[in-house]
Amino acid sequence: MPEFITNPNLALLLFCAAFAAPLLTTVIGTWRPALTGIVAIVTTAACLAIVGISYVAELSSINVPWSETLGLRFHLELDGLAQMYALLATGIGLLVVIYASRYIPLHLEHHHRGLDEQPRFFGFLLLFMAAMVGLVMAGDAILQFVFWDLTAIASFYLIGFDRDREDSRTSALMALLVTGISAVLVLIGVLMLRSELGTYSIPEMITLESGGTNVGIALGLIGIGALAKSAQVPFHFWLPNAMTAPTPVSAYLHSAAMVAAGVFMIGRYYPMIASFDWLLDAMLVIGFLSIAVGGVISLTRDTLKQILAWSTISQYGYVVVMFGLGNEYGLTGATFYVLAHALVKSALFLTAGAVTEATGATEMSETGGLARRMPVLALGSGLAAAGLIALPLTIGFFKDELFFAAAWERGPAFGALAVLSAALTFAYVSRFWIGVFLGPVRIEPRSISWFLTGPVLVLGVSTVIFGLWTAPVIGIAESAATLPANGPAQIEIAYHLDARHENVMAIATWALGILLVVSERWWSPAARAVASLGDRVGPERLYNRTLKGLEYVSDWIHRVEVRDLRSRVATILAPAGILVGLAVIFTPNSDAFEIGNFDRGDLPVAMMLLVTALAAIAVSIPRDHLRIVITVSCVGFSLSVIYSLLGAPDVALVAVLVETMLGVFFICMLLLMPRSILRFETREPSERFGIRRDIVLAVITGATAFFVVWGVLSRPSPSTELIDRYEELTPLAHGRDVVTVILADFRGFDTMGEITVIALVMLGVMSLIRKGRLR
Amino acid sequence: MTLFISITIAVIFGSAAYLMLKRDLIRVITGMILLGNAANLFIMAAGLRRGRAPVVPSEFETSDSLVQAMTLTAIVISFGVATLVLSLVYRVYDAHHSVDLRRLGSVEAVQSGLDDQPTAHVIQAADDAQDARQDREIAARQGGRW
Repeated sequence: MPEFITNPNLALLLFCAAFAAPLLTTVIGTWRPALTGIVAIVTTAACLAIVGISYVAELSSINVPWSETLGLRFHLELDGLAQMYALLATGIGLLVVIYASRYIPLHLEHHHRGLDEQPRFFGFLLLFMAAMVGLVMAGDAILQFVFWDLTAIASFYLIGFDRDREDSRTSALMALLVTGISAVLVLIGVLMLRSELGTYSIPEMITLESGGTNVGIALGLIGIGALAKSAQVPFHFWLPNAMTAPTPVSAYLHSAAMVAAGVFMIGRYYPMIASFDWLLDAMLVIGFLSIAVGGVISLTRDTLKQILAWSTISQYGYVVVMFGLGNEYGLTGATFYVLAHALVKSALFLTAGAVTEATGATEMSETGGLARRMPVLALGSGLAAAGLIALPLTIGFFKDELFFAAAWERGPAFGALAVLSAALTFAYVSRFWIGVFLGPVRIEPRSISWFLTGPVLVLGVSTVIFGLWTAPVIGIAESAATLPANGPAQIEIAYHLDARHENVMAIATWALGILLVVSERWWSPAARAVASLGDRVGPERLYNRTLKGLEYVSDWIHRVEVRDLRSRVATILAPAGILVGLAVIFTPNSDAFEIGNFDRGDLPVAMMLLVTALAAIAVSIPRDHLRIVITVSCVGFSLSVIYSLLGAPDVALVAVLVETMLGVFFICMLLLMPRSILRFETREPSERFGIRRDIVLAVITGATAFFVVWGVLSRPSPSTELIDRYEELTPLAHGRDVVTVILADFRGFDTMGEITVIALVMLGVMSLIRKGRLR
Repeated sequence: MTLFISITIAVIFGSAAYLMLKRDLIRVITGMILLGNAANLFIMAAGLRRGRAPVVPSEFETSDSLVQAMTLTAIVISFGVATLVLSLVYRVYDAHHSVDLRRLGSVEAVQSGLDDQPTAHVIQAADDAQDARQDREIAARQGGRW
């Protein structure tokens, strides 16, 4: 068997499979809408299988030149970190796609939309997955940025899937702007790293890392982009708004994929980030702020998906804090946390969607008591919730254990903060589950498909399975933590029945959490006050203000510039002049300008130049249009004399011909229009400053042209090789005049294009003059 | 010589800019023609060497043939642009009975409701445009060319 079958390049294979998935789904889905879901499931499963195989195969990568002159390489590497995030993207992706294959048809039906919109949804969902897979494998910073932006674009279409609703369009735009603008910061950071370290390759950067200030700033910019993607304070506001998306999108993007991309980025660059203490401290502050803001606001929300969205902000705060703590527990903990959180949070999102599907309720106060009516869903999401609040026997217990260990190692104060954070989590997750599944039944649920409850149960049960059989998860997290830790990482987790710090902290958390749950009546006014304060002065308001301000500026520019052609001309000329002026002032130009030789033979040319310049100035003097046309012709004809003096008879002849035709045509046109119309300008009162403004602008423009032209002409190309070559080749083309041969032979296609242009112009002129009739 | 040519190009360019800022569309077009002229002279001046006409075999040094070919193309294209724009101006005159930019702009502003307090001149201009349209409609009904 050939080598690529027995030992395939898994990195390349995964990349191709991931990008084939959206393509196949869209094509087949457009052909047969009913097949969309099945194709999506099968292709996603194939990607998941490849990721799975990669764990037993050896490390694979592909590294080929992409754009060599720019130093870019198409470098994909399926290392431990990439494997873990690819596993999340495809694994959670598969469950979400299974869920969506039933959910989306129902959703479309509710909104009275055709089923033919299915391919659009699955296409973008899988495109997102592909971008995610590409992102995590990319070893070249620019390639990584391309995928980074692709996730933002795909998320825009997914969040705005309900395009008939205004709030969903606004939210999609918000997510795109926040993550897209911050992506520009990532690009700037990457370019700065390139200029400092001389490479786009991330593994090389890590070995070259110099610890210079610019490297720190670059990493800070990348970090801002990453934190905005992970919905951390103060960029968090896009995430709760993005909950207008269909539930599978929320479950996928906002628990496992898009927000995970942010912390993935931090993990990728972590060995470099770790050498800057101020970056780590900034991450600590932002992380704890996000935990607090997300947790408190989550406690006040009533909409099911909003509770989960704010909780996601808080949960990713944990990850950022653990990266900020920077010790060994923190690094392994951060990767482990992302894994555990993705499992449980997507289950909770899918639960919210299933509940809404069954009862029609989106608010927590409308639901309740569903445990008896929907036991399977209650069990699945109960297990997931138990995982999120870190009860023993679930995978979640260990994520908090690592978090506590990392915080305690830094100091007791951090330990206390960690316990408080975890207690907040305990409170809002319990509130969610209790509110939905316990208490009196408010709305009687309809029975719903297994496709909607199955994935929740799978996720919930796996929370427990991996809580008991920890080896595979530890293996995945360890290999993923190798890269951020820049060396082998070890996670030692097990159940210990003794009074170690972690256990005490966990028990304190549960106690505090239960206290919070039962005392809701006491603290809820305060929490509500905090939430409404956040609504009133939060960054979302700043975002809206900025957007309004930009719209206002754009309207103003439109009013100034577009209504009058002359202002438009002026708005081009004046800034161009200012920019060139600044360039002339601020660039060293001691020998950039040359006066040039002047001998007696040049005298005729110089005289004709003078005539041309005078004629050009004279064009603006006459009132009468006929005289203007004649003066313009003067400029043209004197130019043709210059051409002939410069040894260019062909050009001179053409110039004379063209100038004659243009003059005749111009005068004919003037004849078609009555004199009274042409003279109109003299009748109307002239504008204040009009003439003066025009003269100033003309002088600025002339000066601009002067410096640009003089600068260019002072630095002619030293090599005349090309001209000599043309002259040598001319006899071979059976010609003597080099210019003719160039036009008719060497650049024949150019000339053909030009002839076509002139023919089209003539047709256009004819139809314009004859008012649309060509006969 | 470089300096002289640069100054000339700059003068033509500045003059072109001045004309393009005028209200009269005919002058705007002459500005565009001058702009093309400035550009053509610039391409010619960028020639790497000067000499006799580039006809081979030649015992003298020949001038740069490449820029000549480029200039030729540029001249023809700027001619095409100028004629097309001239015809467009004719159509503007035909539709609005004016080639004055300010008048055209203010009539448009009145018609689209942007300007609530038009001056007497503007009202006059809007009426003229209305008359022109009516004339054309009458002509169209009669079936003859207007």
